[in-house]
Amino acid sequence: MNHALLVAKNLGRRKLRTSLMLVAILIAFFLFGCLECFNHAFYASENSAAADRLVSVNKINFTMPLPVSYVERIRQMPGVTHATSQSWFGGYYQDPREPLFMFATDPQGYLDVYPSIQMAPAQKQVWLSDRTALATGRVTAEKYHWKVGDHIPISSNIYSRSNGSHSWDFTVAAIYSAPDDPARESLVLMHQDYFDETVTFGRDQVNMVMFTTSSSKLNDSIAKAIDAAFANSPAETTTDTAAAFNRAFTAQLGNIALIISLVVATAFAAILLIVGNTMVMAVRERTREIGVLKTLGFTGRTICYQILAESLLLAVTGALLGLGAATLVLATTSKMLQGFVSGMQMVPSVFAAGLGWALVLGLVTGAVPAWSGLRLRIATALGRR
Amino acid sequence: MGTTIRQAVAIAAMNVRSIPQRFWMSVSTVVAIALVVAVLLAFLAMGNGFRQAQSSAGAADIAILLRDGAQTEINSGVSREQALLVEEAPGIARQDGKPLVSAELYVVVDGTNRANGLKSNLPLRGMSLAGVALRHNIHLTQGRMFRSGTNEIVAGRGIVREFSGFDLGSTLRLGQSTWTVVGVFEDGGTVRESELWADVGVVQSATDRLNFFQTIRARLTSPDQMPALKAYVANDPRLKLLVQSEADYFAEQAKQSSDLIQKLGWPLAIIMAIGALAGALNTMYSSVAARGTEIATLRAIGFGGVPTFAGTLAEALVLAVVGGLVGIATAALIFHGYTASTLGANFTQVVFTFKVTPALCASALVLALVVGVIGGIFPAIRAARLPIVGMLGEQ
Amino acid sequence: MAAAFSFQLRHVSKRFVKGKETISVFDNLDLDIPAQDYVAVMGPSGSGKTTLLNVLGGIDHVTSGEVHFNGQRVDTLNESRLSQWRAANVGFIFQFYNLMPVLTAAQNVELPLLLTKLGRKERRRNVAVALDLVDLGDRSKHYPREMSGGQQQRVAIARAIVSDPKVLLCDEPTGDLDRTTADEVLAILALLNREHAKTVVIVTHDPEAASHAKRILHLNKGVFVERTSLS
Repeated sequence: MNHALLVAKNLGRRKLRTSLMLVAILIAFFLFGCLECFNHAFYASENSAAADRLVSVNKINFTMPLPVSYVERIRQMPGVTHATSQSWFGGYYQDPREPLFMFATDPQGYLDVYPSIQMAPAQKQVWLSDRTALATGRVTAEKYHWKVGDHIPISSNIYSRSNGSHSWDFTVAAIYSAPDDPARESLVLMHQDYFDETVTFGRDQVNMVMFTTSSSKLNDSIAKAIDAAFANSPAETTTDTAAAFNRAFTAQLGNIALIISLVVATAFAAILLIVGNTMVMAVRERTREIGVLKTLGFTGRTICYQILAESLLLAVTGALLGLGAATLVLATTSKMLQGFVSGMQMVPSVFAAGLGWALVLGLVTGAVPAWSGLRLRIATALGRR
Repeated sequence: MGTTIRQAVAIAAMNVRSIPQRFWMSVSTVVAIALVVAVLLAFLAMGNGFRQAQSSAGAADIAILLRDGAQTEINSGVSREQALLVEEAPGIARQDGKPLVSAELYVVVDGTNRANGLKSNLPLRGMSLAGVALRHNIHLTQGRMFRSGTNEIVAGRGIVREFSGFDLGSTLRLGQSTWTVVGVFEDGGTVRESELWADVGVVQSATDRLNFFQTIRARLTSPDQMPALKAYVANDPRLKLLVQSEADYFAEQAKQSSDLIQKLGWPLAIIMAIGALAGALNTMYSSVAARGTEIATLRAIGFGGVPTFAGTLAEALVLAVVGGLVGIATAALIFHGYTASTLGANFTQVVFTFKVTPALCASALVLALVVGVIGGIFPAIRAARLPIVGMLGEQ
Repeated sequence: MAAAFSFQLRHVSKRFVKGKETISVFDNLDLDIPAQDYVAVMGPSGSGKTTLLNVLGGIDHVTSGEVHFNGQRVDTLNESRLSQWRAANVGFIFQFYNLMPVLTAAQNVELPLLLTKLGRKERRRNVAVALDLVDLGDRSKHYPREMSGGQQQRVAIARAIVSDPKVLLCDEPTGDLDRTTADEVLAILALLNREHAKTVVIVTHDPEAASHAKRILHLNKGVFVERTSLS
C-alpha cells in the first residue's frame, strides 16, 4: 500500500458518486475538445495561409469584379513571384441547394500560388491542357463519387450560356489533395478561358487576384504599389494578405470563437460547482477518518496533498475520458462536416490545453476540502458521539 | 388514493424544507441546470431572432421576381425589358397612376463592423422611389429619403447600429463616386434594416452595370392576385422568371441558417444537460442518504413507499424548476434584445435581434424538467426501497 | 531522572469558550506518568477524561501549563512537529475503532508506516508481526465491515503499535464490546504493557477494564479526587 492507493481507495468508496462526477467532467471536456477543435479547423484558413500570399479584390467589395487583365499586370509587378485569379461560378451539381465551392481560374497560376496542392503528374497534364477539364479537391470528389475521367454536368445559378442553357459539361481531369490546407480540398476548379468563352455576361472579369511575393517583408510595399497602380480606375483594388482577408471573411459569420468560449466556460462553470461541492461533501463525510489519520501522525499537509491528489485524479481521469471521446467523435464525424469545416480532428494543442484545464479544475475543486483537511482540529473531528 | 397524495405532499414538503441542509449541493444543481437552460435559450433566441428578422420582412402582397434558378437576389439577373413587361401585368397596384413595380440592383459593398473593425459585406440596393413606396411599414427615423439621380443613400437602422460610417450625414466612397447618407429608416427590426438604399440608375453607373437589374418587386392589389401574375409570367416566353411572394422568399431564406443555429443549440444543450443530470443525481442521492433515518422513521410509522418515492421526486423537480427559471431569467436578461449580425443567404450581413419568446422558454423549461425527472426518479426509487430496519438503528 | 517519566503535566489548565460561557475542564492540574506505567483514568461523563487523553496525545492544546514527554516539552510544538512526534511516540485506540472502511485490516495497520522511511518489505513484515500479536494474522485481507467489533478493535490495536510507539492512549477501548471480547482486548493491552514495555493510559467507565491497570486515577470536574494503586 502507498499514498496513491489511499487516494484511489477514497475515490472508490462511493462508486456511484465518483462515476457521476466523472460523467460530468467527461461531458465538459468532451464539449471542450469538440468545440475547440472545431474552432481550430474553422479558423485554420487564417493560420494556414502562407505569409507571402496576398489577395487583391475590388475596393468596393470582394464580390465586385476586377478586369482579368489585372492578373497579368499584378504578375509583372516587382516582387510578385506568381499570380492567379478566381471567379465564383455559382456552380451546383444536380441539387441547386447544395452549391459547389467552384471557381474559374488560371490553372498553371493556381498551382504556382498554391503549392500545397498535390496532383498526380498525369492528371495535372490533362487538367492544364484541356479547357473543359475540372480539377476537384478530394473531399468534393468523394462526396459526389466523381472519378477521374467522369463527364459531369454542372449548372450555374448565376451564369447562362450563349445557347440559353445553364448547364456545362466538364471532364474530371484531376482529383487533388492538400493535406496542409484542408479547406482547399473542397474546391472545384475550372478554366477561366472556358468560362470567358461560354458565359453570356461577366466574361473577362475575376473576383480576386491571388499572388505570392518573393519575401513577406515586401508584402506591405507591394500591396501599396498595386493599390496605387489601380487607383482612380473604374476598378480600384484593395490588397491584403490572404490571412487578413480570410480573418475578415470568417469574422463575417459572427464571432464563433466567442460563442465557443462562452459555451465552454459555461460547461466548466457547471462542473466546477458540481465537482467542487461534491468534493467538499465527500471530504466532510470523512472528517472523523481524517481526524484518526492525524492522530496516527499524518500531518495536515499530507492530508491536504491527499485530497488534492484525489481531486486531481478525478479531474484528469474525467478529462482524459472526455478528450478521448472527442477524439473518437471527431474522427467519425469529420467526413460529415466536410464542406462546412474541413479537417476537423483532435489537435494536440487542444488535447494539451484540455489536460491543463483538468489540472486547474482538480486544484480548484480540491482547494476548499484540502484547506479544511489541513485546518481540521483532531479533537473536533473525533468529537464525542 | 387521497391518503397517498396527502402523504406524498407531506414528505415532499419535508424534503423541500430540508434543502437548505444541503444548500451548496442544491445550489450547484440549480446553477448547472440554469446554465444548460441559458445556453439552450441563447441559441434558440439567436435562431429565432435571425428567422424573424427575415420572415417578418416578407409581405404576402409583394411579388419578387428572380431569374429562374437563381435562388437569391445576388445571383439573379433581369433586364429592363422584363421589368417593363411586368408593369403591364394584371393585378399590379398603382399609386398616382404609376405601377408599383421596382427593378432593383443588389450590389455588395464593404462596411466596417463596429465590434471588430473588420470589413463586412453590406447590401446596397439600387431602387426607384416606387420601390420605396411599394414596401410597407418603412419609416424614416432620421433625415429624408434619397432623391432620384443623386449620390444619396438611406441606411437601415440595423446597419447604422452595427457598422460604422453610415450615420446621418456621413460620406463614403464607392469606386469613383462619393455618397452621402441623407436618411435612416426602420422597418420593425426586419432584414430590410440591414440594407442601404439608393437610386438605381446612380448605383448602376457607379458599379459599371448599366441597364442591369437583379430583381423585380411588384406590389399587387391583393395577395389573391399572385396566381394571375404567375400565369402572366408563365405565358410570356420573354419572362423566364420565378415569381413568388416576398413572404415565401424570405421564409425560405430564413429557414436554412436558423435551422443550422437551432440544430447546433439542441445537441449542445442536451450534451450539457447530461452533465447537469450527473450533478442532479448526485445531489438527490445524497439527499436520500442524508434523510435515511427520517425516511425509515416515516416508513415505520406507516407512510407508504409510493409517497416516499413521490416526495423525493418532487424535491428533484423543485430544484429543476428553480434551475430552469433562473436559466430563463438569465438568458432573457442577457440575450433578449441583443443584436448581432451574420452572413445571410445573399452573402451580406443580416442584422438581427435575439428574441427570447414564451414558446422558447417553455421548451427550455421542458429540458430542465427532463433533467429533474431523470435526476429524481432513480434516487426516489432508492428512497422507496430503503430498508426500514437498519436505517433506524444506525447513526 | 526526567527520562524515567513518559508524561509530566505541570499546572495544566484547559478552558474553552462555548457561546458566552467559558468552561474550565481542568485547572492547574499536575500529573506524572512514569515510563511503562499502566494508568486507568475513570470518572463520570464530562469529568475531562477524554480531554486529558487528547492533551497527552497532543491532539488538543492546553490553555496554560506545560506538558513534557520523556523530558521534552511537547505542548509548544507546532502542528507539523506534533504530528511527527505523535507518529513516533503515541498509538491511539478509540472506542469505535475508527478503522478506514475502504482499507483491509493489513492496510489499516500499515497506515502509520506510510509516515516512516520503511520499505515495502519491512512494512509488510511489521504489519504481519503486529497482526500476529493481536492474533489476527489470518484476517489481514478482510475489510472492517467483514469483522466483529472485537476483531476491529484488535486491528486498531495492531495499528496503534505497528510503528512501535512508547505510549498507547486508549479512549474507552472496550466501551463498544461485550465482556468476553473486552477481556481479550484488555489482555492484549496488559501484555503490551508487561512484555513490550508500553506505557498505557486508558480512559474508561468500566471498573473491570480499569482493574487491569497498575493504578487508577479518579477524575471529577477536572480534579483527581482519588488515586488507587493496584499492584
